[in-house]
Amino acid sequence: MSTSPLATLAGLPPGLVWPADRLARPAEAGVPTGFAALDAQLPGGGWPRGALIELLIDAFGIGELALLLPALRAAAPERWIAWIAPPHLPYAPALAAAGVRLDRLLLLTPSDPATILWTIRQAVASGGCSVVVAWLPNAQSAALRRLQLAAEASATSLFVVRPGGAAQQASPASLRLRLQPAQDALALEIVKRRGPPLAWPLRLPLPERPAAFPGRADRRCSGLR
Amino acid sequence: MLWFALILPDLPLQVFTRGVEDAGLLAVVEPQPRATIVIATAAARVRGVELRQGVAGALAVVPELALRERDPALEAATLAELATWAGRFTPCVSLDPPDAVLLEASASLRLFGGIDALAQRIADAALPLGLTTTLAAAPTPLAARWFARARPGTLVRPSDGWARALDALPIELLADGAPVPPATLELLRGVGVRRIGELARLPRDGLARRDASVVTDTVARARGHDPDPRPRFVPAERFASRLVLPASVTHTEPLRFAAGRLFSNLAAWLALRQAGLDCCRLHLEHDCAPATVVEIITGRPQRDAARFVQLACEHLAALTLPAPVEALRLTADAPVALPACTPDLFGGENDAAREAAIRLLDRLRARLGIDAVHTVLPVADHRPERAWRPAAPGTRPAPHPATLGPRPLWLMQPPRPLGAARTLTLLSGPERIESGWWDGDDVHRDYYVAHTAEGALWWVFERLDPPGGWYVHGFFG
Repeated sequence: MSTSPLATLAGLPPGLVWPADRLARPAEAGVPTGFAALDAQLPGGGWPRGALIELLIDAFGIGELALLLPALRAAAPERWIAWIAPPHLPYAPALAAAGVRLDRLLLLTPSDPATILWTIRQAVASGGCSVVVAWLPNAQSAALRRLQLAAEASATSLFVVRPGGAAQQASPASLRLRLQPAQDALALEIVKRRGPPLAWPLRLPLPERPAAFPGRADRRCSGLR
Repeated sequence: MLWFALILPDLPLQVFTRGVEDAGLLAVVEPQPRATIVIATAAARVRGVELRQGVAGALAVVPELALRERDPALEAATLAELATWAGRFTPCVSLDPPDAVLLEASASLRLFGGIDALAQRIADAALPLGLTTTLAAAPTPLAARWFARARPGTLVRPSDGWARALDALPIELLADGAPVPPATLELLRGVGVRRIGELARLPRDGLARRDASVVTDTVARARGHDPDPRPRFVPAERFASRLVLPASVTHTEPLRFAAGRLFSNLAAWLALRQAGLDCCRLHLEHDCAPATVVEIITGRPQRDAARFVQLACEHLAALTLPAPVEALRLTADAPVALPACTPDLFGGENDAAREAAIRLLDRLRARLGIDAVHTVLPVADHRPERAWRPAAPGTRPAPHPATLGPRPLWLMQPPRPLGAARTLTLLSGPERIESGWWDGDDVHRDYYVAHTAEGALWWVFERLDPPGGWYVHGFFG
């Protein structure tokens, strides 16, 4: 008795297997990113829940937070938004102006790398956070694997911000995005997703970033005048 | 009336051993009139230590036997603790020293579903205390105590002729909880009386002539013919519980178990007053150093022992002990009224999320320290470095005016001078900020949004007073 492999696959419960030429369909819909162009390219139509998401950036200030702002704004009011080991001070006036609920913000500044990983796992596993954003400048693959497992067992979206060079290394994350600045926008290269690779980078205009004032453009300064 | 008697037969030993899972070879010594073993752990008895044995003899049999001198004050404190704990079953609790607690439970029987169910419940609830208890119930306190001593588990219901159940008990019990002197017991044994029932055949006046009327009085109280009022136990206003460790402990791991015992006491004390706590202190007592105090703070009033234990463990894990720990003490004051929790019919998921969020906050604070867990709030100040402040998570920001110019999501603290080699394109500005002349921290700056060669947006300023100098103060993340 023989059945075709495709028929066998089709008989499996949804979410277990995804054909490589199509986007996976996770059991649970993702959290809308706030950018329709990006939602269309993500399995589940948004940031996946219960998953490790890697954001690979080379420099701060290219709009990496603006990309997350819609998800942070939409976070559930009874859970925390945890920021773990941010590289600089999150600036309260700007966050408040962007509509992030500061009374739900949990800024965690653990002292050493082991405690940072512990804190991330606690934040993800507790079920008390809707979004966890962690900055890990030099994370080992084993540590990321543990974080991915912790995230899978929860309903929390775990964003890990890593240096752009890490794009060359393998990672257990289920979604990896490389962020690069483009003219007045953010270029998103989907390094890894549950679906076919995307040949060209997405270009997302970020409406919340300050744009050039007409009339005062193009004055150059070169260091100390 | 229905009295439950709860007897702690191993109290002198368990005041020392209840803080550890396995006490090993330990015996408690009564120093007067001569040093004898009062009680020993099962392990010690298996090795041949006998009760009422001299200390020298016991040490000859088991040289590595650890000895502790009997501590009546600690026993009394532990008994009071048990009485506090028993307050969850009935408000009428009496101490019956040296080793019993009496509960008058006739009013609570219906609530707990009858005498058998209540007895089971008391026995189950006593397990986490780390104290061996024997339990019996009878219509008078003295009878309950005797049954608990001689026939543990007996539950005598009040009915006509219940007192006949006392007849079969040995007369030695008369000295238990009643002022019957040993000489009188000797006298009774001399005339051939073995059981309490046989006392009824003796002439009352004959006993009275031989100074033994106390026997008839005692039996009359036990049978309920005479009244036997008992003072009611009043729990302490402030919680303080101390647990002595059988041997000094040099690392924090074994302390968790002992702390668990203390926290179940605390939970009982809180349940009795329908109260919760948001702060308590665990003192680790050392022999030759001041006690290490661990302050346990919860996000909101609690009385769940497991939750306190979890937080205490986080603190203990991060602790380095300055000296070996000899005893643990838990103190708490200012309980907050906390109504008994009623499960929510609707909205259970949100409550669970809220609960999980508070639990996470408690854990993180315990492990990372209060300073590493916070949020940021805007402050009405024009100077960017003063326009924010750290705050406890969950603090709502005050409504603030909309910011005037663009503000970055990342602030560089403190501003960093721009390197000479960097080329920036100024996109917008200047936004002049001059403020703070009144507190000596005045700034005179022109702020710009700048575009770096790598494509990032920076918030830079030019210092105006003293003039010159470009700084980067933030990133538009």
